[in-house]
Formats: sequence, structure tokens, C-alpha cells
Amino acid sequence: MKDKCITEMLDNASVANLSDNELNEIRAHAKDCVSCRGAYEAARVSAVVLRNRAQASIEPSPFFQTRVMAALREQQAVESVPAMRRLWGSAKALVSAMAVTTAALAVLSFVLPAPATPVVDQTASVYSAESVIMDKSNDEQMTYEQVLSTIYADDDEAR
Amino acid sequence: MDLDLARQAQAGDESAFAEIVRRYSPRVFSVASRFFRQRSLVEEAAQEVFLKAYTQLGSFEGRGSIEGWLTRIATNTCLNMIRGAKRRPELSVSDLSDDEHGWLEQQSASDGSEQRSVENSLVAHDLADRLLAVLPPEDQQALLMIDGEDASIKEVAEATGWSESKVKVRAFRARRKLREAMEKLLKSKDGKRAEL
Repeated sequence: MKDKCITEMLDNASVANLSDNELNEIRAHAKDCVSCRGAYEAARVSAVVLRNRAQASIEPSPFFQTRVMAALREQQAVESVPAMRRLWGSAKALVSAMAVTTAALAVLSFVLPAPATPVVDQTASVYSAESVIMDKSNDEQMTYEQVLSTIYADDDEAR
Repeated sequence: MDLDLARQAQAGDESAFAEIVRRYSPRVFSVASRFFRQRSLVEEAAQEVFLKAYTQLGSFEGRGSIEGWLTRIATNTCLNMIRGAKRRPELSVSDLSDDEHGWLEQQSASDGSEQRSVENSLVAHDLADRLLAVLPPEDQQALLMIDGEDASIKEVAEATGWSESKVKVRAFRARRKLREAMEKLLKSKDGKRAEL
């Protein structure tokens, strides 16, 4: 018999459930075949281990029934709370957060003063009339508006 | 009678459901014990099974028994609970305790007849759990039912909801993997003994 046949027989069913014929065949072959002897040994011990494990059963405690019924009542109590109330329960946090944010924004808008923004005169010039007339300008190009405002500003001062 | 009990419980009769729990908790515990060894985990799983069963009472049509129906719920509940757990690496001879070494020696030397004692059983349970941990939970389940409890392929298929061919494949694969793990363990144990 081939080694593969022996291992297939061992993997197809537990050693405990093999027929006498099958066991005799395996044992006869295993006498002269080291690898099949190892496989048979392992399968035999595995079968004992499994049988032992299957017998380890825990019995229910005398209070188990009471415990289950209490858990069931608790579950039913949770489920009986109306849907709107449950929805409100979960939305409460969101609504509170929104109210706090609105209040904070109102306080910030009414209590704190608005920051003063400087008025910038776009026509204000950094040039004097003399520098413009004498063409002592820097390399920077002046605009037409800047030239006019500089001249008239000096005239106003003179008056 | 099962159907009457289920209908009464579904209609809100608490005493009928309490009777279902009383009658079938040993069976549910026995299924959960295949997966867990700690009492607290077995009780947690069993409670979960009955709470699920209560909400699914409407789906029990009375074609099979309540026991079969609960066995299926229990199997699936326990598989779901255990699925998240990590599989352990293969057991090596250095992981074995002295008692486990002794037990394996005893089994190798025996002619196949089982030597029973409380101590022996406890050692074998530990060893079984550690060996089975290398298998996926579904394969463990199939193997424990077939080889440990002598359940038929059909019974396992009914309890799990898998097809019969799937049960056969799982059992074959699990048996081979367990045998190979045990073979390695026995070989390395013998090697270690020869070194000494």
C-alpha cells in the first residue's frame, strides 16, 4: 500500500472510527514504513486528545435562567423608550453645542469694539513741489495725479 | 409542543420563554463549551444565544426542533465571538509543560486504550486547546463535533448551516493539520529524549 493511501485513510476519518480491516491494513504497512508509523501514531494520539476535549462541558449554573430573564427585561425596557425620545437623547449634545456657539458669537459681536481701520489717502504724496518742479525726483515714476496734488497742496499752504 | 412553547413565548408569555431557557440551556452550554473553556465566556455566549433566540422567535417555524434551532444560533454566535481572536502559532515541544510531556509519553507507550483520570483529562484538555488553536474556528468546530462527539456530517451541516461537502472538506483539512502538528510534536519530543 502506498504512503499516500495510508495518510488519506487517516485524514478521512478519526482513527476511532476506522474499521478493523482498515486498522489492520494501516498497522501492517506501518511496521515497515517509518513515516506512516509516525502518521498513525500522531492520528491516534490526536483522536484521544479530541475525545477528551469534547467531553469537557460546562453545566449551566442554577441562576442562569434568572440571569437571562433579567437581561431580557432590561433589553425590552430599552426598546420600549419611544423613538422620538431616543432621537432627542442623541440629538441633545448637538443642540447644546449649537446653542453655546451662537451665544459665544453674540457676545463677541456686541461686547467687543470693532477695530479702528486707518483711512488711507490715496492721493497723499511723499513728494514736495520743489522736487517736482526742479525734477529732483527719484528714479521712481510719479503718476499724473501725484504731480497735481503735490503742486496744489503747496499752493494751498502758501495762501 | 416545541412550536406551542415558541408561539406562547412570541406572544409575550415570559414563563414560556423561561421554560425554553430552562429546558435547553444544557444544550446551549454544551455547544459553547466546545469553543470556550472559561465559565464566564460560556455563560456570556449562552446568554447572548437566548437573547438572540427571543428576538428571532418569529423565524422558528416548527419544522425542526427548538433544540436544533438553538444549536444553530449557538454555533453561529460562538463562531462570531471567536472569529476576532488571533490564531496562535503552531505548538512546539518547548512549549509543553512537564505534565503534557508525561501525558504524551503515556499515550505513545499505550496500545491505544485510553487511561482516564481527572488529572489526565485536564492535561489532555489543555493540550487539545493549544493544538486546536492552530486551526480556524470553523475547522475546530467541525472536527470536535465529528471526531470528538461522533456527530454525523449531516448533523454538523444542520448545526452550522454549511453544506455537507463543506463540512467534509473542513473536517478532512482540520484532521490533516492536527495530525501533522501532533506528528511534529511527537518527533521533536523523541528527538529531545534521544539527546538526553
